[in-house]
This record gives sequence, structure tokens and C-alpha cells, in this order.
Amino acid sequence: MRRNRRIRYPGTRHGLSEAISGYLFVLPAALVLAVFGLFPLLYNLYISLFNWHIKRATFIGLGNYKEIFGGLEPFALLAISTILITAGCALVGKKRKLLVRLLALALLACGATCLAFGLPQINSSGDPDMLRSFRVTLWYSLGTVPVQLFFGFLVAVALDGKFDGKQTFRVIYLLPYIVPAVATAAVFERLFSLRPESWANQILALFGSHPLQWLREYKGVLELLFGLAPTHGVGPLSDYWSTWAAGPSLSLVSIMIYNYWVFIGYYALIFSNGLAAIPRQLYEAASLDGARSFTMLRRITLPLLSPTTYFLTILGIIGTFKSFNSIYVLRDPSTGGATDPMSVYVFFQFFHGGRFGYAAALSMVLLVIVVGLTLIQERSMGKRVFYEQ
Amino acid sequence: MPRQPLPTVLRYLALGIGAFGALLPFAYMIANALKTYAETVTRINPNPFSPAFWPAVPQWSNFAEVWLGDAFGHYFLNSFIISLATLCGSLATSSLAAYAFAKLRFPGKETIFSIFLLTLMVPETVTLIPNFLVISALGWTDRLAGLTVPFLASAFYIFFLRQFFKQIPDSLLENARMDGASNLRILWSIVAPIAQAPLSTVAFLDIASSWNSLQWPLVVVQTPRWRPITVGLARLISEEGPQIQLRMAGALISLAPVVLVYLVAQHQIVDSLSTSGIKE
Repeated sequence: MRRNRRIRYPGTRHGLSEAISGYLFVLPAALVLAVFGLFPLLYNLYISLFNWHIKRATFIGLGNYKEIFGGLEPFALLAISTILITAGCALVGKKRKLLVRLLALALLACGATCLAFGLPQINSSGDPDMLRSFRVTLWYSLGTVPVQLFFGFLVAVALDGKFDGKQTFRVIYLLPYIVPAVATAAVFERLFSLRPESWANQILALFGSHPLQWLREYKGVLELLFGLAPTHGVGPLSDYWSTWAAGPSLSLVSIMIYNYWVFIGYYALIFSNGLAAIPRQLYEAASLDGARSFTMLRRITLPLLSPTTYFLTILGIIGTFKSFNSIYVLRDPSTGGATDPMSVYVFFQFFHGGRFGYAAALSMVLLVIVVGLTLIQERSMGKRVFYEQ
Repeated sequence: MPRQPLPTVLRYLALGIGAFGALLPFAYMIANALKTYAETVTRINPNPFSPAFWPAVPQWSNFAEVWLGDAFGHYFLNSFIISLATLCGSLATSSLAAYAFAKLRFPGKETIFSIFLLTLMVPETVTLIPNFLVISALGWTDRLAGLTVPFLASAFYIFFLRQFFKQIPDSLLENARMDGASNLRILWSIVAPIAQAPLSTVAFLDIASSWNSLQWPLVVVQTPRWRPITVGLARLISEEGPQIQLRMAGALISLAPVVLVYLVAQHQIVDSLSTSGIKE
């Protein structure tokens, strides 16, 4: 605000009328965003403190949160560790003084300790469906993001430079991402149906394999491949860990395949923009020094592409916490929620279960996770911030 | 490119395989939308280059059956009206606000802008329940207002447009002011024509996002009156049982307008999507 007045309009009158126009122009958007974007945050918090079953009933304070995490103590431990770790991360930095860095380390250690005490309790007494949906979300992130990054990068390399038909390929690769997810999921729901004549089972038959249940299969892929059946009754956590050991369900893997189809082209386009921005002199200099192409890939391309990779990683993880449309179409109720990430679990608690208060509390947990991830992204992206719609 | 260029054959082979994978589900959709019910079970060769992947005789009547029999014509019109209303509203509010943030000076501007940006972090799951209660309290369930009003402004579009508006030189605006033009007039006849490219990007994004939306309409629409095509299709999938050809015809109808707009404005959309980082 160095230039407080315009040279041509020295009078305050014009400043006032400009300010009034400014407020009037911002007003319509501000009204909508305030009512449907910001107010809901507070209202959601309010709802989450009630036993609210379609109609508002009694105020139960943290009752819903206690149900999610299995008691006040694990909830408190988790909340404290979140605060400590956030504070610790905020203080960590190379240019800080030694004392501050030690403090950050202490905060992180305390946070980790709280987490170590809290997690087993949440495992044993928290809402099992919430835990499952959280596990599904993690599998979903782990199963989709690295694969999409890898193949997206490969396609971007193939798309790099100038050649005939480049625009056509770009248009084709972005097509799955552009069109309504409901429509394309309707196709995959058929491609991966359990019928022996479905497309996926036909392909299996070419290799002489038996048809699979695909989207109907609640069993984990590791269980199907190696017979790692969940074991029961060896200690308090065995059920929980054995469900991890079975891997993501085949139904979830089918949904991941759908995800690859939608997002690899999009990842490739973002990567190819990143590739185009790398100065070519670097490669020229390197090849003068006799560097081989693998060395150039490792020393030049990948490091300079890392902001893009990072952006796509976080965007992908946030995406799994928000995903809804495709899973709503592809999920099969008979798998008992084996494909439902947190966002879908919240939706069904609200929409079919009518448990408004509980679903609101669950969504607040989701909010904390997504905001955390977004802040990490923005902090490390520095000035080059990308925003999601 | 100085990094060793890919051999042409290898490049086209890789890109061809990728394009095949990207297009295969669309081929499946078209092929099965044109089959008879019996053919969806018997003519099932998985290879799209084989004639047995495609119907013996295209059954165009499937589209008529979905359009009339399953009311897709009505849902299509609903989606069209919803998208158009949302588009007009959000384009107006967003360009007004973006203009104010880019070119006008008023106290608290930066604060208001950063509060706007806060809304970008909030997932739809979080606003779903409170917004449903607000819309119910207003009596807007099953009404056009309930489907459009919450989306009449978007912090993302404001952020996106503001960046472009900022690049327009102040001298252009000053000249118009000297001639006595109001800010509204300047926005309409100077800024908007210059910023045609970003404005049409925003328009496409908004059409796509309201046409493709599912979760919110599922919650606020209970009757067929304002049911959009995505909800109609989702219901068809869960209710129609084994009528694959009708589902695929419905899917094809529901994605046709988006694909059409996309193909017409492909250059701009591909460029802006690959630089801005936007997700459904």
C-alpha cells in the first residue's frame, strides 16, 4: 500500500466511492461463500455435539467423538498429539536457533508418545467401521498415488517434445478425467462385474484363470493370492492387524484400476508441463560432460520435477479423502464397506443411517486430516501454490 | 529436446497403447449401448478390433427407450437448466469479486480475500450436513434454488480470474474512467473481452462440475421433478438389473454434452487444466 491515492484522483471522495464499489462487487460472492462455505463449519461443529438423529435431540458434548475413538482418553491423546506434532513441525526449520530446534524435537517426541499410547486404545475400542474406512482410505492412497505417478511420468516422457498428433493424444488422455464419473464408473461396473462373461473375466480366461468376483469380492488381494487368511485370537490386536495383512480387498483394487484409468492421463499432462519447464541447457551441459541418459534422469529430471511430483502426491492423497462419485456407483453393499473410504462412510451414516450428529463428528475428523494435508502442501510449495476447486 | 529424443516408433507405440487404454471403456460403452439385451450376454469378445465386440445391427431404439422410458430426456433438461443457472450466477459473482480484488482499493481487501480462500480447504463432506439443514429450513429441497444457490460463487474461480485481471494494465482502466465509465462498465466492456480465455475456462469448469455433481443432488432431490441426469443414471444402475444396453445408452447420453464442449474448446481446456491443478 505504498501508493495510497491515485495520482489522477487526489480527493477522498473518489477513494470512498471506489471502496463502496469494491464492497458492492465482493458482496454477492461473499454472501454465498459465507452462508454455504464458512457458516457450515461452525454449524457442523455444533451438530457434532448433539445426539442428532434427523431431528436434534440432546446435547452430548464430546459423546460422538468418544464413540469414534473409543472413549475420552484416546480422543484426548490423539488431539494432544496432533497439536504437539503440528507445533513441532511449525518450529522445525534449518535456519532456526538450536534452542528452538531442540524444543521442536521435544514437542515431536511428546506428540509421538501420546500417539503411541492413544492408537492401541483407538484400535481396540474405537468405531470399527470408522477404522475400516480409514484403512480403506490409506490403502486407496497407497494403491493409487504411486502407480499414477509412475505411469503418468512415463506417459509424460512419451508426450515430451514436438511431434505429429501431440494435441490429439493430449485430448484423448484427458478425456477420462473430463467426463462425468458416474457415466464412466457405470462402464467399469460392467467391465469388472462378477459374471463369467464380463470383460475382466474374459481376459482372465485368455490366461486360463478362473473368473473372479471383482467388485463383489470382500477378501483381500494378498489373501486371495497367497492364502494369507486373517487369523483370530492371538492377542488383543490380532484381528485388526490380520485385516491389514490381507491387503486391500479385490473390490477396492478394482476401484483403484478405475482410478488409474481416470487419473494417469491427468498426471501425465501436469508432468509434461513440468518437463517442458526444465531448462534444456542443463541437459546440454550434462551431455558435454559425458553424462548418460540415466544419470540425467536421476540428477536433473527427477530433482527438478520434484515440486510437481510433490503437488500431485498431496493432491492425490487429498483426493482419496474426498472421493465419492465413482465409489458410490462402483461399491457393492454385499462387500460390507470393503470399498468405502471415510468420505463415503460419512455419507452413509448421514444419508442412510440418519445419524446427523455422528456423521458431523466424523466429518470434522476428516476436515482436520484434509486441512493438515493442504497446509503441508501450501507450506512446502511456497509461492507456487495450486488450489483445488 | 536435447535429452535423447525417444525413437519415433517407440514413442508412437507407447502413446498408442495408452490411447487404446483410455478409449477402450468408451468403445465398450458405445458398443453395448447399441446391442440387444441378448447380445450384451452373447456377443462379448473383449477385443474392440473384433466384430464380435460390436453389435450385429445397431439398436438405436435403446436411446429412445432411455430418453423416454427412463425419463432421461427430462433429467437431461434438468441438468441443462441447473448447469446454465449455476454458470450465469457464478460467472457474474466471481468476475465481480475478482475485479474488485484485482483492481479496486478498499479497506480489508486482503483479509476478505484470504477468508474466501479458506473455503477451498473444506471438503464437500464437511459442508454436506449443515447445508442440507439450511436448505431444508429454507424449504428449498426438490427445488431449483436448492440445487444452484450454494454454487453461485466459488473462491477458486475468483482466485483464478483475479490473477488474470491483475495483469491488465491500469492505464487502460484509467483512460476509461477519465471518460466517465463506471466500474461495472469497465468490467463489462474492457476487462471481460481481454480476459475472454480465462473466463471461458471458468465457464467450462463450472459446466463440468455442475453437470457431473452427484453427492449434493442425491441429498437435496427426492422426487423426479428436478432430478439431474447423474442421479438418474446412478438410479438406473442400481435399479435396472441386467439391462446393460440401457445403462450404457444412459451413460452415453449423460456424457455427450461434456465431451462436445470439450472437443470444441479442447486447446484451451487442455492447456488450462494442465497448468492450474483442478480436481472434481
